[in-house]
Amino acid sequence: MAYDRRQTDVGTPQEGGAGPYRDYRFEVGRAEVPVGVPRTFKVLDPQRAASLRGWVECLVPAQRGRPSAAEVGAAEYIDATVYSASGLRETLLRAIDRLQALVGGAGGGGFAAADLGDRTRAVRAFELEDRSGAFDMVRDFTYEAYYAHPVVLAALQRDLGWDAVAPTRGGGMEAFDESLLHRVKSLPARYKEVR
Amino acid sequence: MSAEPADVMVVGAGGAGAVIAKRLAEQGAQVVCLEQGDWVDRQKLPKAHLDWEVRGRRYWAANPNVRRWPSDYPVASFGDNPIDVYIYNAVGGSTIGFAGNYWRFAPSDFKMRSLDGVGVDWPLTYEELEPFYDVNEREIGVAGLAGDPCGPARRPTLLPPAPVGRPGRLLIDAYERLGWYWWPTEQAITTVRYDGRSACDHRSYCPFGCPNGSLGTTDVTYWPKALKLGVRLITNARVRSLTLDSRGRAQGAIYHDSEGRVHEIKARVVVLCGGGLGTPRLLMLSDSSRHPHGLANSSGQVGRNLIVHVQSFAVGRFDDPVEGWHGTWGGTVSTRQFYETDPSRDYVRGFIMSGVGGYSPLNLALQLAPWGPDHHDVLDRYLNHEVCMYLCGDDIPEEINRIELDWEHTDAIGMPGVKTFYRLGENSQRLGADMIRRARQVLEAAGATSVRDFGLSPIWGWHLMGTARMGGDPATSVIDRHNQAHDVPNLYIADSSSLPTGGGVNPTSTIQALAARCAEHIWDARRDWQGAD
Repeated sequence: MAYDRRQTDVGTPQEGGAGPYRDYRFEVGRAEVPVGVPRTFKVLDPQRAASLRGWVECLVPAQRGRPSAAEVGAAEYIDATVYSASGLRETLLRAIDRLQALVGGAGGGGFAAADLGDRTRAVRAFELEDRSGAFDMVRDFTYEAYYAHPVVLAALQRDLGWDAVAPTRGGGMEAFDESLLHRVKSLPARYKEVR
Repeated sequence: MSAEPADVMVVGAGGAGAVIAKRLAEQGAQVVCLEQGDWVDRQKLPKAHLDWEVRGRRYWAANPNVRRWPSDYPVASFGDNPIDVYIYNAVGGSTIGFAGNYWRFAPSDFKMRSLDGVGVDWPLTYEELEPFYDVNEREIGVAGLAGDPCGPARRPTLLPPAPVGRPGRLLIDAYERLGWYWWPTEQAITTVRYDGRSACDHRSYCPFGCPNGSLGTTDVTYWPKALKLGVRLITNARVRSLTLDSRGRAQGAIYHDSEGRVHEIKARVVVLCGGGLGTPRLLMLSDSSRHPHGLANSSGQVGRNLIVHVQSFAVGRFDDPVEGWHGTWGGTVSTRQFYETDPSRDYVRGFIMSGVGGYSPLNLALQLAPWGPDHHDVLDRYLNHEVCMYLCGDDIPEEINRIELDWEHTDAIGMPGVKTFYRLGENSQRLGADMIRRARQVLEAAGATSVRDFGLSPIWGWHLMGTARMGGDPATSVIDRHNQAHDVPNLYIADSSSLPTGGGVNPTSTIQALAARCAEHIWDARRDWQGAD
């Protein structure tokens, strides 16, 4: 399946950590972190935890009855992932601290306490300057936590008709109607005979 | 470990190794199989869980560099068009992550050089392989419909076609408007209860595992039967090298178990089924004074001629919901309208286009949805409004496309990884451009209001073929028409690496048919190896 937007990075795990850009994908293969499980922070201190909550809320805000990423535990999920993939911890910690500095420089008071607009501007600035891979990592983990959460999947079914349960439980479908092939069956053979 | 050699040792319990093991055990051969991976815990299949998309990006990731199972070796990719490699090292091999598209090659696929003046011919014909397609399809349980005018007549042994759903109906309408050929896609999926396996219950996204057991992965098809027949399957057995006796005949293998302990095992016949990367890797690792450039490599072709297919996806957006979440992922309806060479086009050979469902929420969000205030609007615009088409075309083998051992990146016990080098050839680029253009044409005819595609990069590394190819000339090929090594008489190679060309379709059906044919030859030639020790 076509999967994400950066599939051209096909190096080896060792190369993933060699340069300034740390590609999280090479470090999370063994980080099994179920989505939708209640959990508390293990890596982040309370201040950084609050900042990360504020960050993921910017990435996927609440809208039209759908929760924000923070409301479905995306920050806790990211914390649990970097707990399992410890090589990513420093990348996350530095990124959170940088956001804190960016919003502090703009208006003071800290990232977590800033309003959504100020936080969004800081995240946008961080996205532009980031060379560590932290932004991509947090965005992708946030999407993971969001789009696998039962509450969000139920909202997608309610709003868009997307049946998110069918891929795990299956369901009935109408059998193929062979009469649809009437025209094609009347066509001449279309392959090269080889003698 | 018994000192008595087995009749046959198979290396690799994947799509081909399972066929070899079961078919020979059926005949009465004593078979042992070394598999570097383990059984997949079916409770852990991503699709057994609501968060299957996330699990699919982590421990189930198709790229071994991401997944990093203990059995995996690193793969680095180089060249003008580096390959995003997708392989699984487990019982079932890469079938455990396949979509079930299950095409037969066309007769012309076996005669690329004769018909089109490029590549090479196979040293056998479609007609010679046809009986083994039949045999293998009965084992796997294949859904489809006999009578496709785009292929030779065949026995109606297929299970009913899979339902096509609304995405399939949209594509059928398009093909009818265009006046093109189309046909329900053949798939290795039991659409009715078959051979003790459940009928498909339409969960889609098949590469994320089929908890229902209706997808024809060899851990649920061949292996249970092979084990009942007495095949000895040794999992977590990482083969370090193949061994030869004093006469230069294959004698067995040295392997490491899961603890790293070294074992030696002997057999009268050795069959390599390690796949397009694993097989040449092991041949190169088995070099010796007699075979200084790798075992069975007097031609210098081991690791060369890597072919991967020209692949892409085109995705149409429709105003109305498409209900693209159910059915089979591997294909609803397909067309071989452009499969054969057409002199009016600027390339030779051709391609298939195979309808699929729609992308799932996380996948789609990662592809398209920006973060921030517009996030939901974009996702809402596309989710449940897209129909995908999988596109696959023929790729001409070139020596420059190859694999090498990578001693800088090693596996868990210090054995080298693999480097791939790949450049999409000029013919493949032209073919690919037309393939995408035609897919856009279909989606627009189906009523799509917009169409996007994935271009030709990255190179989708599902189909890794040709790296120990068969041929009639020992100077330009590694094995003969019976999959027997030119250089080592009791060594066989029967997996995707043996294919000299890859056709323009998913190759698993052909790989397995070829393995069944190889097994028959090994048994027919038993006088050559029984008592040879």
